[in-house]
Amino acid sequence: MTAAPVAIPEAPTPPGGVRRWLNSPVGAQVTAAVVFIGAWQLLTLIAPRVPGPIEVMQFLFVEITGGSHGGIVRGQFFEHFAITLQRFSLGLFFGFVSGLLVGILIGSSTLARALLNDTVLVLLTMPAFVWAFLTTMWFGITWQAPVLTVAFASFPFVAINVAQGVRAIAPELRHMSTAFEVGRWKHFRHLTVPAVAGYIFAGLRFAIIIGWNGILLSEWFSGQAGVGFRTRYWFDANRYRGFVGWVIVFIVFIVLVDRVILNRLQARAFRWRDQKEVDFIEIQEQQVGL
Amino acid sequence: MARVAIDRLSKTFPPPTKGGDPVVAIGDISLDVEGNVFVSIVGPSGCGKSTLLNILSGVETPTRGSASVTEGDRPAHLGYVFQDARLLPWRTVMDNMMYVRDDGDAGAAKAALYLDMVGLSHTHDMFPGQLSGGMQQRVGIARAFSVEPDLLLMDEPFSHLDAITARSLRDHLQELWSATRKTVLFVTHDVVEAVQLSDRIIVLAPGGRIFDDITIDLPPRSPRQKPLVSRRGWPLRASGRRGPPPPSRGTRRR
Repeated sequence: MTAAPVAIPEAPTPPGGVRRWLNSPVGAQVTAAVVFIGAWQLLTLIAPRVPGPIEVMQFLFVEITGGSHGGIVRGQFFEHFAITLQRFSLGLFFGFVSGLLVGILIGSSTLARALLNDTVLVLLTMPAFVWAFLTTMWFGITWQAPVLTVAFASFPFVAINVAQGVRAIAPELRHMSTAFEVGRWKHFRHLTVPAVAGYIFAGLRFAIIIGWNGILLSEWFSGQAGVGFRTRYWFDANRYRGFVGWVIVFIVFIVLVDRVILNRLQARAFRWRDQKEVDFIEIQEQQVGL
Repeated sequence: MARVAIDRLSKTFPPPTKGGDPVVAIGDISLDVEGNVFVSIVGPSGCGKSTLLNILSGVETPTRGSASVTEGDRPAHLGYVFQDARLLPWRTVMDNMMYVRDDGDAGAAKAALYLDMVGLSHTHDMFPGQLSGGMQQRVGIARAFSVEPDLLLMDEPFSHLDAITARSLRDHLQELWSATRKTVLFVTHDVVEAVQLSDRIIVLAPGGRIFDDITIDLPPRSPRQKPLVSRRGWPLRASGRRGPPPPSRGTRRR
């Protein structure tokens, strides 16, 4: 008996140029941005007080180039942005380093966990605006208030993530270190930090977002300069295009930090994951000229 | 020469479930190993073989008794080969070798030498994930030898590998051991492997007690050519089964 021939289905034809581009990640991102701007423009038709995208872009252009806003005030983008960035970096540094140390302590010691874990959880539930109020009450209208708001708001996110990461380190690797009598610093540098890297990045991402929220609020309440102060300035002046313009700057900065800095750092830290298994038989065959 | 002195050693773990009984991993073991010998510890799963090595390496503490590993009048320097390679996946092969060493360039040269001895001189800059399981285990063996330990602990290092790879690694191990003559404590549940590699075999029974202590003194290390007699006087075949009385070629101890 002869077996009936089996029909092999043809492979589907790949989509054409425009369709393929729309289906690509870049295409999807551009489409999302276009849809968002379109929806925003439509919103201005329904609510006339909402400034449209073109209006906001015109404002930002004047603000960035230092031009005159209708004779009221000149654009001061870089001055205010630099002040906020300085305060933010300092606050994030304190929040990150202290979060890292406390996280490692909680993750590696039962006693430290019992002592500190609940405190960190309580801090985690505190919204950034509470820190903005408290630091303004404690320090008044000073540069310390926004710096400490960022530090306090970011600290628990780093600590809790790092603590989880330390607890997740494979005990087998820790035993290996103990058996070979590896020194503490070496253990920390080559085992703990790389093993916890994923958790550190997760904590840092949250810390940056929460810290950036915190500094905006703190400068809004107590600032004499900075992004938050400038945003409030335009709000108080009843110029909503200025207010929305600075909010957009605020959002774009966070997205750029995430895409440009954090993603690259993460790719570098995890490059070992992307390595493919080497085909040694193929290498040997190449060497003997097969 | 390293000396392992174990005196009335016991290790009991807490009950795994609430209201259960404590787990006796090792029950009152006394043992003395001295000299450049290859000693295998065999026994069924759960008889305390790995726990014994963990106590010797300082990973576990004994419940009762004492265990010391000395080289002359100082604590001995240890190397350890685990069941799995236990390499840092985010570090290259050479970085993994250097992780357990404290010296700089001299250490790197030595690490490279041992990698070469296990046939992995071309993998220095590769990450462990790029290597096969057998190759990773060879790195683990090279790492343990490269610290030039006074005592080398090996915990079923070939149990996770296929038969062909395991045989190849056994050959590598024999070559390395012949070249270095370290004191080795080798845990396995494979009697043939123990016979092939060892000068002495300690058989543990469930409950962590020594069931038998066998000395083998006939080279070469081949299961076919090595008749042996247990401490209890039972002749053994290479398969581990008892057979007819052997010719007087084995040696009894104690």
